[in-house]
Amino acid sequence: MPIVLSVDARSGVPIYLQLIEQIKRSVALGVLRPAERLPTVKQLALDLTINPNTVARCYRDLERDGVIETSPGRGSFVRGDGAEASVKAAAGDVAQSALESAIREAMSLGLSRAETTSLIHGILDRWYPEKS
Amino acid sequence: MNAITIDHLRKTYGAFVALDDLTLSIPQGSVFGLLGPNGAGKTTTFKCMLGLVRPDGGTTRFSDQTFSPAVLDRIAYVPERSVLYEGMSVAEHIEMQRRAYSKFDADRARELVKGFGIPDLRRKTGKLSKGMRTAVAVALAFSRSAEVLVLDEPTSGLDPVNQRTVLNLIVNEAASGNTVVFSSHQVGHVERAAERIAIMKDGRLALEGMVDDLKADRKIVEGIMPDDSATVAALNGNPHVRRVERNGRILRAFVSGDAAAIAEAMSAGGAAGVRVVDLDLEDIFFDAVAPASSTADLVEA
Repeated sequence: MPIVLSVDARSGVPIYLQLIEQIKRSVALGVLRPAERLPTVKQLALDLTINPNTVARCYRDLERDGVIETSPGRGSFVRGDGAEASVKAAAGDVAQSALESAIREAMSLGLSRAETTSLIHGILDRWYPEKS
Repeated sequence: MNAITIDHLRKTYGAFVALDDLTLSIPQGSVFGLLGPNGAGKTTTFKCMLGLVRPDGGTTRFSDQTFSPAVLDRIAYVPERSVLYEGMSVAEHIEMQRRAYSKFDADRARELVKGFGIPDLRRKTGKLSKGMRTAVAVALAFSRSAEVLVLDEPTSGLDPVNQRTVLNLIVNEAASGNTVVFSSHQVGHVERAAERIAIMKDGRLALEGMVDDLKADRKIVEGIMPDDSATVAALNGNPHVRRVERNGRILRAFVSGDAAAIAEAMSAGGAAGVRVVDLDLEDIFFDAVAPASSTADLVEA
């Protein structure tokens, strides 16, 4: 498997959510390709020294979200159809919550709507430069 | 199905209440971490479960059976203090267990002991360091092919490499469908290997739940108020707010669930720089075992 998963057990973010995020990111970036096989629950649990039921919970959620499919006896695979689309939708959720906390921070620091908007435009111009 | 069901266990030593109405269910195939300060009742819980100490009240059931010598064949126990015979060698301990337990795998025991860095099985266990004696006891327990492993501080005294080996043995058992209950003062170990925890305090259950659910649920919402006395009225009586700490202008609300809504309420109530802080298991542990004001008192004292 070409992706290297890692967890920070001491993080306040639940381990299964850390794994879901990393696997989705790997699919979105094409590091994990459609039909590629994921490690077994036991293997990943031993590789990371984490609880196997936590890994199983991560795989169940990824299956529910349409990112992977599991067939008994064969293992878990990245879905050939729709995995990227469902990952993209999930990426929208992640980005929205990050933006929300940034905007909440700006508001609580006393910035006006206009000031915050101009900040956002400045940042957008830097990361998504308009082609002239 | 539950591998272990502890129902209203109570144990007193004279006037000291070691266990006070403890009720716990440990699902089959799970890794269950028991946390608590010294004297919280973790070891007493294990001893009552295994019939080594007679409780004043309450019961423990293994699957659907009450405790009996027959049940003991399915359970491996590593006590807090080593019970190895100091005059006997490691090899003799392995042989003794092979004769005592029908499913004991002596080859696996030898392999595990060597894996812990004890090359010479002829060494008397009395000549081994405390950590190595723990390692031998752990190796013997994990060679029993037991359905339930009860481990009291199984990583105590081990070096970091051997600690990781023990955690991986625990993970491996759970992946094979067996049940592991273990206690540890190293919250980080429990955080990795266990999916469910109980935190004990003064013989009682202070908190129980899935590690990931507790982390997702419990947050601190922190904000800076305009002055030392300003409060946020919306926090009072909010069922999600467990308590509020104040340090000068900084207000910290310990919340269960709904952190985003409480952050909004704090912003609306005049707090600046509102942020939601994630808690790791150690934070959750301290929050569960310490009364609200005690940490500040200790620091000031």
